[in-house]
Amino acid sequence: MENLKNTIKEVCASILPVAAVITILQFSLIHLPLDVFLKFLLSVVMVAFGLMLFFIGVEMGLLPIGEQIGATLPRTGKVWLVVLGGLILGYVVTVAEPDVRVLATQVDQVSGGAIGKQLLIQMVALGVAVYVGMAVLRIILGWSYYLIMIVSYALVFLLSLFVPDQFVPVSFDAGSVTTGPMTVPFILALGVGVAAVLRARRSASDSFGLVGLASIGPILAVMLLGVIYR
Amino acid sequence: MNVFAELFAGIGHIMGEVFMALFPLAVLTVLAQRFLLKKPLSRLKEVFAGFLLTYVGLVLFLQGVNAGFMPVGQMMGEKLGSLSYNWILIPIGFVLGFVITFAEPAVRVLNHQVERVSGGAIPQMLMLYTLSIGVGVSVALAMGRVLYGWPLFAFLLPGFILIFIMARWAKKAFVGIAFDSGGVATGPMTATFVLAMTIGLASAIEGRDPLTEGFGMVAFVATAPILSVLVVGLLYRRKEQEHERKLAREAVADRDSGQ
Repeated sequence: MENLKNTIKEVCASILPVAAVITILQFSLIHLPLDVFLKFLLSVVMVAFGLMLFFIGVEMGLLPIGEQIGATLPRTGKVWLVVLGGLILGYVVTVAEPDVRVLATQVDQVSGGAIGKQLLIQMVALGVAVYVGMAVLRIILGWSYYLIMIVSYALVFLLSLFVPDQFVPVSFDAGSVTTGPMTVPFILALGVGVAAVLRARRSASDSFGLVGLASIGPILAVMLLGVIYR
Repeated sequence: MNVFAELFAGIGHIMGEVFMALFPLAVLTVLAQRFLLKKPLSRLKEVFAGFLLTYVGLVLFLQGVNAGFMPVGQMMGEKLGSLSYNWILIPIGFVLGFVITFAEPAVRVLNHQVERVSGGAIPQMLMLYTLSIGVGVSVALAMGRVLYGWPLFAFLLPGFILIFIMARWAKKAFVGIAFDSGGVATGPMTATFVLAMTIGLASAIEGRDPLTEGFGMVAFVATAPILSVLVVGLLYRRKEQEHERKLAREAVADRDSGQ
């Protein structure tokens, strides 16, 4: 019950203030037809209600699975299995990530179908998968976080020179939307599990940074898509 | 009634889509249960109920975004962009970014984390204001980019160079937190409604391509928290060093007076 109340409070806090600003704007500057504005208000209710159910569902049934996988995998003692687990988990949660779908829908619409929704989602998910796998490998082998980050971003900016202009902003946005309400708790659960079992001594700082790494994968993946399109 | 019909138009399609979206996760759950976890899931019922709730929640969320947020957000962006004083989008962008961040629960989790790692030296309120102003500025800049056609890299490249320079000097624990924090402000309103606004804006302004100028806003918003955490982290480090120097001086003074 306490959880439910918190979830409702959180969802309201992240949606209502913005909706209030939009309402003020509507009546002071925008003046859209009233039925259009009514549609906005109703969709706010719908989105809020949907998010609440989503959060409750993830916490109740999905996250415990992620945590168990994160805690159990490393105990097998096989590096390849842990990395593979990270890869699969990264892919699977990104495909289900709401923000990724919303972005892909808008890209599909704006590009008139030239950059297809399914294709974009698959590329983003592959990007996340590869980078979560790598992030897990990093924790196990103790690679420098800073080095991976700087090399990855250097690669991003280098690659952007070869990517058609229309793909660059979309690819950066793709990197940012992966850090949504589905992906983040799963990836954190995996990271905490892996770090706790493998390198108990250094776990405190190693479990962080996973999400930041995971969001580079999609940037690179969508840029590669752009290079292929060219 | 017309509005209701519009709001639920195409929901069948979304239902199919969300089913496919959750399917891989369901398969993974079954496989993990069968081969990895082995022991029977004590709360199998809850897992099933969890999936069901997630499914219904996702359908409602995506339907609301597709049928409501996206069309209305685009219309609002177009409308504001065609005003003669459309520079007003810059302050509006700041307010939106500030409000989004100030109320976002994920931001509070981050602030708490920062407070803990800094041993209380960085109070949560300081972080909250830094982040909210940071995201406000970045949404304002994103609006300016669409309005005046500033290139994306004019901001992202210096932004990331600055990030990596600061990360070099910041305490290690802060670097991971900083990069993880990129997502805190790109919550349910940013990637949906505000993005739809910038897309609408880009289509209303002569010479802008919605695909090149409309997108990129989310990445702007994601950079602000990284910078904010690192800046605060660096200040904290300075404070820490001063404290250490002071301790060292005192130790020396103690020794001197002891002789």
